[in-house]
Amino acid sequence: MEQRKHEPKTYPWRAFPFAGTVLKNLFSKPATTGYPFEPAHYPDRMRGHVEIQIENCISCGLCARSCPPGALKVDRAAGTWTIDRFDCVQCGSCVNACPKKCLTMVPGYTEPAAQKSSETFTRPQAPEVPAGKAGGRPVKGDACVYCTLCAKKCPQGAITVDRAARTWSLDAGKCVGCGLCAASCPKKCLTLQ
Amino acid sequence: MAKQSIVPFGPQHPVLPEPVHLDLVLEDEVVVKAVPSIGFVHRGLEKLVETRDYKEYVYIAERVCGICSFGHGMGYCQCLEKIMNVEIPPRAAYLRTIWMEMSRVHSHLLWLGLLADALGFESLFMQSWKLREKILDMFDATTGGRVIFSVNCIGGVLKDMDGGMLKAIADTVDGMERELRPIAEAFLRDYTVGTRLHELGVLTAEQADAMGAVGPMLRASGVSRDTRKLGYAAYGELEFEPITARDGDSFARCEVRIRELFQSFDLIRQAIRKIPAGPIAVPVRGNPGGEHFMRIEQPRGEAVYYVKANGTKYLDRFRLRTPTTSNIPPMLELLKGCQLADVALLILTIDPCISCTER
Repeated sequence: MEQRKHEPKTYPWRAFPFAGTVLKNLFSKPATTGYPFEPAHYPDRMRGHVEIQIENCISCGLCARSCPPGALKVDRAAGTWTIDRFDCVQCGSCVNACPKKCLTMVPGYTEPAAQKSSETFTRPQAPEVPAGKAGGRPVKGDACVYCTLCAKKCPQGAITVDRAARTWSLDAGKCVGCGLCAASCPKKCLTLQ
Repeated sequence: MAKQSIVPFGPQHPVLPEPVHLDLVLEDEVVVKAVPSIGFVHRGLEKLVETRDYKEYVYIAERVCGICSFGHGMGYCQCLEKIMNVEIPPRAAYLRTIWMEMSRVHSHLLWLGLLADALGFESLFMQSWKLREKILDMFDATTGGRVIFSVNCIGGVLKDMDGGMLKAIADTVDGMERELRPIAEAFLRDYTVGTRLHELGVLTAEQADAMGAVGPMLRASGVSRDTRKLGYAAYGELEFEPITARDGDSFARCEVRIRELFQSFDLIRQAIRKIPAGPIAVPVRGNPGGEHFMRIEQPRGEAVYYVKANGTKYLDRFRLRTPTTSNIPPMLELLKGCQLADVALLILTIDPCISCTER
């Protein structure tokens, strides 16, 4: 057996430097809390779960596209927003992507369950605003330079721009009125109407 | 010559938090050779970069590891910022530095707890992890997550800290420093801990350098090399010197990590004092094209990030070399000639993170 070269540089007379801490702990209250008898306290910023204000949702589908685990499903025709709470990793990517700011991260965990299930929210149908045009459609002004930025930004591919022919067209059926085209326009000539 | 026998070690072992397997060739009780095999927790995260938007991939990059998650997100973002020529605001750089140092405190305290547990010193283990809870609570309050923070974005950070929050961090750090002293005293002065760690697994400076050891493992052998000195994020504006020890044994590795904890507290305080006001992110437009290679100092050592972009929103390649990958060859060297009973402890002293290594 390999012999150690010399004695370790410790102090045998201080064999119990931890005794003070141990005694202190013996006479103080526990460091843990009595959950579930005492409620848990969550900080305000905690990313617990995603909540949606479904009445503001325009079903643009940007949240579902930006979701890394693919936990979200948006059905434009039915006006539904579905989340699989067991796939969601609480990264907050959808909250950052939402153009209408109707998604929020809320403190507190969701309930545990024995089986995986998803939760579906249905948008209330307002009669005066038809589905798909909740935020209004973009209308091009005269200052357009046909830069194609709006077409590149459109999540639905509803805008077609031809620089050579100087034409700009919108497929009204595809448009969800998210307003990303107007926000990206360098000439500020797109307005939502 | 004694008869040789092979003892399988791991992948499931009480002292290993993560799976790694070693075939130990023994002569009596002495290890002659150790043959490692990894691959038990490979998840293919690097491949995912080809099918995810480059902005979305930040959330995946930080899920490479549960301990150094902030650094992985930051390393990936820094690569893309260099490729896209984005200069992040100074406040974002300071916020990243504060969170990075909090990650280091979190990681080192976790390791100290695991070491105490491996030594059979249960109360010291509990005390280390009790202290670690405070830094996790601060992470929860500032980022919204205990281990996965999701605050990095390309061009800066997503969340700001107001004055009250910075003060709360400074107060927590002061309190933790007071509470760490008796714990550090127990690790560095206790007779039982000392006899178990002194002169166990000595790695000389030449060996450490030649075999590519990184992080506390390298610095414990007396090589003063710390990637933070490159000055990324706000490290260039903070005052610190790499912490080294001379002996290169297990005790030196423990000592370096304990002294780095105090250094991290100091760096957090410096960053809070110097943090400028201003925006926390700049908007990033377009898709990246080009490649970049960069190094950052993770709690376990130097990590290397490589990103290759092709002008679309999907990247060609993301490569991450983690500190544990570099520390495995020196670890195998340490194992030669040690007693079978010391193997678990020696593996632990490199602070292995297998999920990072296999990604």
